[in-house]
Amino acid sequence: MFSSYLNGIRGKAKELVNELSKSFKYVSLLATDNTGVAYMADRRNSVVREGAGECGFVLKLHNGKAFYEYSFSDISKSVKELCEQVLTKIQSTQGQNEAQIECDIPSDEPLVKSFIRESDFDKFSDSEILQFCKDVRDSLLAMDEKMLNVTVIVQPYTVSKLFISKNRELDQHYGWANAFAVVTYRDGKIVRAREGSNGYILADIMKELPTKTEKLYKKAVNLSKAKPIEPGFYDVITDSSITGLIAHEAFGHGVEMDQFVKDRALAKEYVGKYVASPITNMHDGAGATLSAASYFFDDDGVLAHDTLIIKDGVLVAGISDLVSATRLGTNPTGNGRRESYKRKAYARMTNTFFAPGKDKLEDMIASVKHGYMLFETNNGMEDPKNWQIQCTAEYGIEIIDGKLTDNYVSPVVMSGYVPDLLKSISMISNDFEVIGSGSCGKGYKEWVRVADGGPALKVKVKLA
Amino acid sequence: MIDIISLLKENNQVSDFRVKWLLTDSYEAFYVHKKVEALRAVTAEECSVTVYVDHEKGKGESSFSLYDSTTVEQAKRKIELSVERAKMICNNPYQIPAGDTAFYEVESNMNKYEMNDLCDKIASAVFKANTFEHGSLNAVEVFVTKRKENIVNSKGINKTQITYSAMVEAIPTWTEGGESVELYENYRFTHFDEAEVIKEIEGKMVEVRDRRIAKKPTVPMSCPVVIGGNEISSLLDELCSQLNYASVYSHANVHSVGDKLQENPVGDKLTVTMKGEIEGSPFSSKFDDDGLTLIDKTIVEDGVVKGYFGSNRFGQYLGEKEITGNLYCMSLNLGNATKASLNGKQYVELISLSGLQVDLYNDYIGGEVRLAYLYNENGEATPITGISISGSLKEALNGIILSNKKTVKGAYEGPDFAILSGLTVI
Repeated sequence: MFSSYLNGIRGKAKELVNELSKSFKYVSLLATDNTGVAYMADRRNSVVREGAGECGFVLKLHNGKAFYEYSFSDISKSVKELCEQVLTKIQSTQGQNEAQIECDIPSDEPLVKSFIRESDFDKFSDSEILQFCKDVRDSLLAMDEKMLNVTVIVQPYTVSKLFISKNRELDQHYGWANAFAVVTYRDGKIVRAREGSNGYILADIMKELPTKTEKLYKKAVNLSKAKPIEPGFYDVITDSSITGLIAHEAFGHGVEMDQFVKDRALAKEYVGKYVASPITNMHDGAGATLSAASYFFDDDGVLAHDTLIIKDGVLVAGISDLVSATRLGTNPTGNGRRESYKRKAYARMTNTFFAPGKDKLEDMIASVKHGYMLFETNNGMEDPKNWQIQCTAEYGIEIIDGKLTDNYVSPVVMSGYVPDLLKSISMISNDFEVIGSGSCGKGYKEWVRVADGGPALKVKVKLA
Repeated sequence: MIDIISLLKENNQVSDFRVKWLLTDSYEAFYVHKKVEALRAVTAEECSVTVYVDHEKGKGESSFSLYDSTTVEQAKRKIELSVERAKMICNNPYQIPAGDTAFYEVESNMNKYEMNDLCDKIASAVFKANTFEHGSLNAVEVFVTKRKENIVNSKGINKTQITYSAMVEAIPTWTEGGESVELYENYRFTHFDEAEVIKEIEGKMVEVRDRRIAKKPTVPMSCPVVIGGNEISSLLDELCSQLNYASVYSHANVHSVGDKLQENPVGDKLTVTMKGEIEGSPFSSKFDDDGLTLIDKTIVEDGVVKGYFGSNRFGQYLGEKEITGNLYCMSLNLGNATKASLNGKQYVELISLSGLQVDLYNDYIGGEVRLAYLYNENGEATPITGISISGSLKEALNGIILSNKKTVKGAYEGPDFAILSGLTVI
């Protein structure tokens, strides 16, 4: 259910926007009331506590030239006092005033709408969810005495956001939950392995995660035997997670259009040109699929989109927040996201993925004489200006003569030049998965929840 | 905000409590091509409340957040819910720390400026650093932040700390001959010195100039690799985080007291001290989240694990006599090396990486390199790019050579460079 608190301050929020509109050409207010609970059980501890939550406000203002923002946690003062506080806090120096850009005023198309996606979190008591964590933990611990520790975490959270501008009044409420089981296993060396499940229906997650425990155990056993990879160039098959990581790092960051404004993205010069193999299609959008980064409107009050970024190998579009779209004279794509109400909105990815192809995974593996299949995202880094990428997989399995072997390598760092990597895509599987449990920073900050994925890809790339 | 302490005292099922307030005031400026695109300010108060309940099956705790919007009735309900949640938690018993009242204001010259003015001065210094015809700073973000933290618990702790810090995120860019390249700069400090800011950014402008002319080596190399303070910090972070009391208690540590981090050291032996404060580090603190006064601790001495560090609860579980509190700053002993010690050798000095990957579990160190200098036997440097380094972490640690000059980078103080051997450069 949408936050009763935000409903309670709705009138005041409109008053504040109206009052500030006397001094500014554009005014919007985003109010957030997000709640989360974290449940955890490991061998020696358990936790039930509030998790990631926030309640606060951020004003976005345009003075006819540039933008101002003011983030605050207390809206209890009178509208007059709040206006005075805003004007005092955002006061700029003469030097800052003289250096301001001259940017159009953002469009503020009229829209009044409420969005709700209900979850089932309230159907489970704290004790039921904690007991679920303990049960999964115990089933894993019972599998092998070499399990040093097992940690099971369930993190449901709900989001309520209210957006008010002169012409728009939007509110949304939705939930999402991530669940993980992580094992620490020692057989000679110590390794860690994880499996997860996520969605907006907790009942489904609680059904699915226990089905992955056997796979998790076997993975830990195999990882304990993993060896370092011999650095070199290989034919590689990626699982959905690594495919998503490539989409995210290779072209996701590269088409965040605030980077276009800053002349930070080489992609700006490649719109309309081939950047990938002609069998490649790539999307981003909070409305493109249902996952951790799916919302109804962004933190700028722009409705969620499904943006086709690469069509048949050609770069066709980028993703934008309100500011970058206004500066570039394009329509915002609903990708304006904030780490929290205290942070600035930037153009950010949401659900980023390659579209499925026509190949069968078994045919793809069979086509590799010697190479690796890579699994599970560890982390990645982008370089949108120079198109270098680094993607780290948790592990790889060697392929010899078209067959997966029992030879595990870990970790595996894949790096290279983005167009070389994307143009090397020679096969794309006909299956598809978007994995919704990750988070992404811009530079080394501004963390937001993202999801990415796609089918399996066959590429040629440098591994180390 | 409401008086949460009184409400906690009113609830007779609460055995103990801890309340943390954080007040953040910040001013932020966002530049695109030297022009101000956006200016921001933040005034936020956050409060986290932890309720402890001693019950017959052990000790439980649960936390919740309090907002400016939280009413007295809502807070009472949150306390009651936390009590119920804490009763489900059957952890081994421990005592929350007892203490006294203290007030600290970490020394900084930043409190002498208005925040918007300081932000402007920092930005001016950043742009002043670019005196290069083909250089530019395509994006600059400046954050000036004042934080006031206050921790109160039911055992008498009432500690307050005020800190000031600044962060610059800049994108030094070089455009020449129709080609443009960039590097990423994240620079944090607690004392404003215009000359230092200019020096830092100037250095990055030179590096990005060299990135434009950097070439990818044609053949893989095996030669000494020099890493800087940021990379040493990543390396230490991986080595030290496993020696946290909580990791040890949950058996997540690879090494224990007495184990050799360097099995067969042929280079410098590592001595690492976890610290509460490092001069110039924005991660310095007088106390941790429990309000526990931080005590420095040497956890690695001459390459051998000597002890652990961490929070009150897990320190008690491990039977530690002197609990350090959760320490975030890392100090590494200096060595004797200078760059001159590499004279006559071919080596690669890493300048900018996507990120150093260090995996203690899999004995791995590596990363993708955006800019490095390849030095030949005559000491001549050639900028190179498009390479990756990788190798055995154990081997790298065994052969590590430390410089004799100190630097501070984030939460790290120690040698400004280290020489690693046994890595593949491809």
